[in-house]
Amino acid sequence: MTTIFRIVLLVVSLCTMVFMLKRIRYAKIQIEDSLFWILFSLMVILLAIFPGIADFMSGVIGIYSTTNFIFLFFIFILLIREFSMTIKISQLENKIKELTQEIAIKSADNNKKESGG
Amino acid sequence: MKELLIIIPAYNEEKSIERVVGHVIEDYPEYDYVVVNDGSKDDTSKICRANNFNLIDLPVNLGLAGAFQTGLKYAYKQGYKYAIQYDADGQHKVEYIEKMLNEMKKGYDIVIGSRFIESKKPHSMRMLGSRIISTAIWLTTGKKVKDPTSGMRMLNRSMLKEFALNLNYGPEPDTISYLLREGVRLSEVQVEMDERLEGESYLNMVRSVKYMVHMVVSILVIQNFRKRDSRYVKDNNKERMGNV
Repeated sequence: MTTIFRIVLLVVSLCTMVFMLKRIRYAKIQIEDSLFWILFSLMVILLAIFPGIADFMSGVIGIYSTTNFIFLFFIFILLIREFSMTIKISQLENKIKELTQEIAIKSADNNKKESGG
Repeated sequence: MKELLIIIPAYNEEKSIERVVGHVIEDYPEYDYVVVNDGSKDDTSKICRANNFNLIDLPVNLGLAGAFQTGLKYAYKQGYKYAIQYDADGQHKVEYIEKMLNEMKKGYDIVIGSRFIESKKPHSMRMLGSRIISTAIWLTTGKKVKDPTSGMRMLNRSMLKEFALNLNYGPEPDTISYLLREGVRLSEVQVEMDERLEGESYLNMVRSVKYMVHMVVSILVIQNFRKRDSRYVKDNNKERMGNV
């Protein structure tokens, strides 16, 4: 890894962290949702400060260049994230649907009672 | 209306809900209660209706934090002075509420029903988690909470308002740690609990590890960056002056 690349990694992940912590500070995000980004940026900071970790890991897996390992690592983590987001969004949509139906049915009941009584 | 509301969040508790709530109603009429059915898939809601229990029926599942907060909102709107979180599975014992309430009236904001004040923590896996959380809280606040994961927590009026109306006030150890650091007065009272008889499956193991990572990172890192709304600090101080 070149020094420039390490600096870029460091700066970007620090920015991510600061941004998330600011949102938490002013109660704009739920802590459990911010957790992924905090841990992710901590990991990237670790990789930027100790490039030996990435060198070692790419050696173990058999990837020629360390930078490639970093790319693979990012893609992999983001794919997992994407997967869990898809599940979460699907659940959310279902919940909204159920809520909407519940409210509509209740108001229909109320209307009937009013016009009937 | 009584001064204390027992909030009983229930998710799929058809087996125990009738017995647990029945016991509260019959033997402790000095307290009010509310069951918050957290979108259960079983007959919890039906049983509560059949018995005419005081019930809030959530149409979808919100999770424990959301269900408990619903109860707190209810307590706040109805004007209760104190509220306590109480398990629907029969783990908690209602006879200890009086002891906790007496402690509360000495001028505390939060009282935890603790299993480990007089008795020692056993050396099990679950208690290892409890130890780690206690240590994390001690590192950030300098205060010792012997049973941070106890689900039996009593809140006074200013606390229940703050929990009811804000984001990131889940009934978990990280919130306790944050509030301790903010100078909220907390006490623990020795209580007994019936252990749940459940085997720990692999999935539970994964979930526990996730929970631990969440709690430790939250207590050690995230909570330090939070900012408390100054209105609540004022409310809290006012109530304390009235109490002492």
